[in-house]
Amino acid sequence: MDFAIALTNVSKSYRLWGRGSQFATLKSALLKRDVKLAPEASVEAVKNVSFAVDRGEAFGIIGRNGSGKSTLLKIITGILKPTGGTVAVNGRIAALIELGAGFHPEITGRENIVINGIMLGLTRREIDQRFDSIVEFSGIRDFIDQPVKTYSSGMYVRLGFAVAVHVDPDVLLIDEVLSVGDEEFSSKCVAKIQELKYRGVTLVFVTHQLEQVRTLCDRALWLDHGQVEAIGDPVRVVDHYLQEVSGTQVGTPASPPAGPAPSPAPDAAEEERFGSGEVVLSRVAITDDKGRELVALGPGTPVTIEMDVAVRVPQDDFVFGVGIYHADGTCVYGTNTDLEGLTPQRLESNGRVRFVMPSLDLVAGTYRIDAAVHTRNGRAFDYRRGVIRFIVGARVHDIGVYRPKHQWKVEGGITFKQIDLTERNVPNEIAEAMRAAEPKKKVKSKE
Amino acid sequence: MNELKTLYRYRQLIATLTARDLKARYRGSILGYFWSLANPLLLLTVYTIVFTVFFPANAIQPYPLFLFAGILPWTFFAAATLESTAAISANAGLIKKVMFPAEALPLVVVLSHLVHFALAVPVLVVATIGFAWHGDVVMRPTMLLVIPLMVVQTLFVAGIAMTVSSAAVLFRDLRDIITNLLTLGFFLTPILYTIENIHISRWLRALLRLNPMTPFVLSYQDVLFFGRLPGLADTVLMLLYALASVALGMMVFGRLRDTLAEAI
Repeated sequence: MDFAIALTNVSKSYRLWGRGSQFATLKSALLKRDVKLAPEASVEAVKNVSFAVDRGEAFGIIGRNGSGKSTLLKIITGILKPTGGTVAVNGRIAALIELGAGFHPEITGRENIVINGIMLGLTRREIDQRFDSIVEFSGIRDFIDQPVKTYSSGMYVRLGFAVAVHVDPDVLLIDEVLSVGDEEFSSKCVAKIQELKYRGVTLVFVTHQLEQVRTLCDRALWLDHGQVEAIGDPVRVVDHYLQEVSGTQVGTPASPPAGPAPSPAPDAAEEERFGSGEVVLSRVAITDDKGRELVALGPGTPVTIEMDVAVRVPQDDFVFGVGIYHADGTCVYGTNTDLEGLTPQRLESNGRVRFVMPSLDLVAGTYRIDAAVHTRNGRAFDYRRGVIRFIVGARVHDIGVYRPKHQWKVEGGITFKQIDLTERNVPNEIAEAMRAAEPKKKVKSKE
Repeated sequence: MNELKTLYRYRQLIATLTARDLKARYRGSILGYFWSLANPLLLLTVYTIVFTVFFPANAIQPYPLFLFAGILPWTFFAAATLESTAAISANAGLIKKVMFPAEALPLVVVLSHLVHFALAVPVLVVATIGFAWHGDVVMRPTMLLVIPLMVVQTLFVAGIAMTVSSAAVLFRDLRDIITNLLTLGFFLTPILYTIENIHISRWLRALLRLNPMTPFVLSYQDVLFFGRLPGLADTVLMLLYALASVALGMMVFGRLRDTLAEAI
């Protein structure tokens, strides 16, 4: 009974109603003397999915559009019935599938709060107790006695979210709603969710905001075509997913697979390569300080980018460049020999170029490397975009791309239980630390 | 029985939604709630004018009161039935996006129409007092029996509404079929006439008797207009129809419930 949600072999097929017509009509049913409504075909939106979410866990579900994520969430809430398998949920469950789904436009915000709250399972008394807090959170006190139809969509959503998070569920399901609202409100939502998590509420997210999965979730599930493709550590699952997605988007070409998941397959995935070919980068690799090739590395490790250069036509004007990109396309760093003041003299014959970094301080995630050789005015001899992919893994789920060397220091009446912050995991403690960490600090380590 | 438990659990929700319905309906109108009273009042006025000025000769007197006694329960039944065809599809957002007991929706429709009905009854009572003052009719305590009658009729209408609302999701043309059936039903129910006063074949008379709304309308006329107890046969029929309707509603709704979120 320690699980909050348990799904066993859950499947869901949607029926496709006959003859391409969406709706049967009574007349046709009677005329055909077949009121049985036999569907002519079905689509399996979710196939044989099993997983359990522990109490107090934050669980992310990611996947492409149409992969069955929302269907799965609706099955957990009970809005949809699975066609096979069983679903067990412990505790009061609330779902944010659409914010303000039950609002009636003609009546006031005040009345809608009451109705929405009752629909989400609160009693009248509970709503009265929480009313001020709800209004406070929504930040639309001035408009609370206006009909909801006069609200902007932002206000609508604020009110919907405010009611929903005040329901105090044991299990909260959230479908892609955190992205709404302005920056200020979104961060308020995220903070509220962290607070709920801190209080021990089990959270299940469906989202395309992978950063949120990485930062908020303890585990993630990648759903592909209705089946579980991967489940586990959110950073790994997200990275794995990103690789796959970027792979299919670019199309055919190749790159070394990064990451823990599939065994490194030969270059192929999604490299983009162009240039005249007078000079080529015949091999590009990343190695550690001892010259061993790397696929995955920890944060802050020494890394060297090696380029084997094959010269077909000797050159006097040449520039070597490298770029490091996050899998989401963010440029982490880019430079070239020209920018750094190295004046080319002669590129006569084959050789090797090394770009040596004593320490690569990146946050966990998937990255790619561009390597290029071109003229100073930009004509490419060989430009290999995404020639290498690599993964940075870390136990700490910090966010961003760059991880400066740092440590936490606290002093005064502030203490933490664990000494070694590098060995613990996940945002529960981060949230805790954030609450505790007001101005003064005392030593505790991280990296 | 489980359904009843669910309904009990959601009674607050049903009550709130009904209140919302009523509020939203008259929001922005000048008369507001008064429309619930004004509608039957205007209707009564129109009937009185039409049947005293344009068609004065009639066996039943005062005819407007007689008409009113039959037309109120009929309107309750017809309006709730027709509106329940849209009860679920109009709230697709709730069914698809919120964990929501779908059976609440047709019941909300029924209850909000019951409120309109209940608000019209005092108009009828006041009108009866007026006519009694004039000496056209005698006030009788049987009028109080209108309350249990309304309870039984509400059960009957609720069963129909549950059946219709869930079936209408699968059969989109149900609304058109029902609109026409209701028009036919209006004339197959002794609202404008009494069964004794018309000259029709035995067949048609049997058909009239089979109409489930007939015993209800007859009983309302008995207690409100004629000042007598409803007939025993009518009473038994009403109870049977109410039970059958609720059973049918639960069965149909229960079978279709799980498909509603998809089919909507």
